[in-house]
Amino acid sequence: MSQQLDNSQAQDNPPTKNERLLKQVYPPTRSVDDLASSQDTDPANPPAAEHPIQLLKQEQDYWEGLYRLAQGKTLRFQAHRVGQQVHIWIGGELYHFALPVSSSRGRTTQRISTDEILCSVPGVVLTVDVADGDSVVEGQTLLVIESMKTEQVVKSPRDGTVQRVAVQPGDRVDRGMRLVALAPLEKT
Amino acid sequence: MFSKVLVANRGEIAVRVLQTLQAMGIATVAVYSDPDKNAPHVTLADQAYSLNGVSAEETYLDSKKLIALAKESGAEAIHPGYGFLSENPSFCADCTAAGLVFIGPNSDTISLLGDKIRSKETAIRAGVPVVPSSPLWEPGETHHQGFLSQWGFPLLVKATAGGGGRGMRLVEREAELLPALESASREAASAFGDGRVFLERFFPAARHVEFQVLADASGNTIHLMERECSVQRRYQKVIEETPSPALDRKLRESMGESAVALAKSAGYTNAGTVEFLVDPTTGQYYFLEMNARIQVEHPITEETLRMDLVQWQVRIAAGENLTLSQNDIRSSGHALECRIYAEDAYDNFAPSTGTLLSWQPPHGMGLRLDSGVSQGQEVTPYYDSMLAKLVSWGADRQASINRMSKALENFPVVGVTTNIPFLMRAIHHPAFTSGNYDTRFVAMYGELTAPGDNGRIDAAAMELAEDFWQASVPKRAGTRTTGQDRPQGPWESLGRASFP
Repeated sequence: MSQQLDNSQAQDNPPTKNERLLKQVYPPTRSVDDLASSQDTDPANPPAAEHPIQLLKQEQDYWEGLYRLAQGKTLRFQAHRVGQQVHIWIGGELYHFALPVSSSRGRTTQRISTDEILCSVPGVVLTVDVADGDSVVEGQTLLVIESMKTEQVVKSPRDGTVQRVAVQPGDRVDRGMRLVALAPLEKT
Repeated sequence: MFSKVLVANRGEIAVRVLQTLQAMGIATVAVYSDPDKNAPHVTLADQAYSLNGVSAEETYLDSKKLIALAKESGAEAIHPGYGFLSENPSFCADCTAAGLVFIGPNSDTISLLGDKIRSKETAIRAGVPVVPSSPLWEPGETHHQGFLSQWGFPLLVKATAGGGGRGMRLVEREAELLPALESASREAASAFGDGRVFLERFFPAARHVEFQVLADASGNTIHLMERECSVQRRYQKVIEETPSPALDRKLRESMGESAVALAKSAGYTNAGTVEFLVDPTTGQYYFLEMNARIQVEHPITEETLRMDLVQWQVRIAAGENLTLSQNDIRSSGHALECRIYAEDAYDNFAPSTGTLLSWQPPHGMGLRLDSGVSQGQEVTPYYDSMLAKLVSWGADRQASINRMSKALENFPVVGVTTNIPFLMRAIHHPAFTSGNYDTRFVAMYGELTAPGDNGRIDAAAMELAEDFWQASVPKRAGTRTTGQDRPQGPWESLGRASFP
């Protein structure tokens, strides 16, 4: 049933900061790189076993097994891949990993823009309080989204003019979806 | 006894009620919205009817549809669960008018208890201490001045018909009072169709303790001990336990008697819950409200008393009398409930949706899971974010905490963010383990809602992710060169992942 994971380079030589492919996106935390290096030299918390990963189930997009920490403590884990996302569940904690955002080939890293108001929570649009062409001030309610019985008020990040409202009441919305576009600020 | 009952709810409480009905040999009818087509309560019931719609308003809150389906199916009674129409007096009255038994109190009692002023008056008549409050506020009137000079600030503005924090405002200063009264009144008028508001004394460090009550139609009324519900976020409970660490024998007796007196004074029948605030500094308690339904947290009472509360609801509704007296009620050990919410504790408890890639509940002695979801199911934004309730029982408080701790650690949920890591931190927090906590618990300890330093577990997760990624993604992709002028990781070409 179980098999020991061997011949993995990553096992014998844990990836260093520069070799790592994935970036932790959840939970939002201080860098795991800092963490790993500080832990490795912690005399009160010696390094884990040499081959800490024991696989109980191994599929293309799914792993399940045990992870041995130092001092004989063993944690259950699961690894799921969905497209380019990796979900790791271990000992009750949940992690998401993804590829770092590429800055090459013309793909710009996320620009901090106040022109587009994006949805931060999955839900249903309850009310839309502005219309195309309206002037708004910072903090003004643009619309309200209901998600799991909780109302989330979406406010304007700045003063400006509504260029386009992309949703209407009753629409189902997801994280990252554009809700409202403000007319870009004129450069002076 | 009924031969067929319709359950007008969804999720874990629908499953819970269906299980009891089936164990009693009663035929069961479930109803479902479009997104719930394949939910566990639908597959469990003997019959299931579509409510044809998505939102709560067009499905589980549509009393006409529900009553019509109950009649069509041949059900004799409706169990409303909690939430939705469970405390709606018109739904209750409409059921009765249609010749259906509503499993709960009658509509007059529901109306009475849904009105904070009238329920308070009922408590006062029953000799039960209440939280001091002002007369109803009216614009331009000054009859709340007496309350202000006696209790001052901070205070709460509350709506007579309020609930779930709506129509409620904490007011710290005189200057904030009028705007708070006006906005609370507006909010309550739009949410409940009743804009009446009043002032209430605010206890910053109170505990929230409730008593379960059972009453039959012949007037026999008993209480089933208390539940401590002080761990809350956004005025919603997250962790409950019984017995409460805050009560001694004398206080328990006194509060239990008050709960029974209030239920009798309100003419209550069926299962209900009397909520109190307890001031831990004085040991004084105050009636808050009575909930005319089965509560989310009822399982901890069931575990310590070895009783089926839903079965009693059905038996009482069918006209049976209680066969238990107060002296028969003996609590054994300690039970703890953790509500598993689909939410991100690191992002102000924002709701989370998605498909449950993994949902593998722990099992074992002293553990109980009341769940309304299953692996592979989609968690949608249309209804409440509570997925399940995990309950542990132990011979004493420490034993049930230990059992809960191991259970949370061994409950893989992947695909939807849940509050499980928060729950693990909460039950290990010194303020919780000492038993000495109040309703400020979640707000007071920021470490509960900040991503912690999990040291080696964080590093293990990273290591697993790297190994798994290397093995999971076809090797040939890794040998592709990109022709870029700088060395590039092989996976960057795959584009950016978007994460919830």
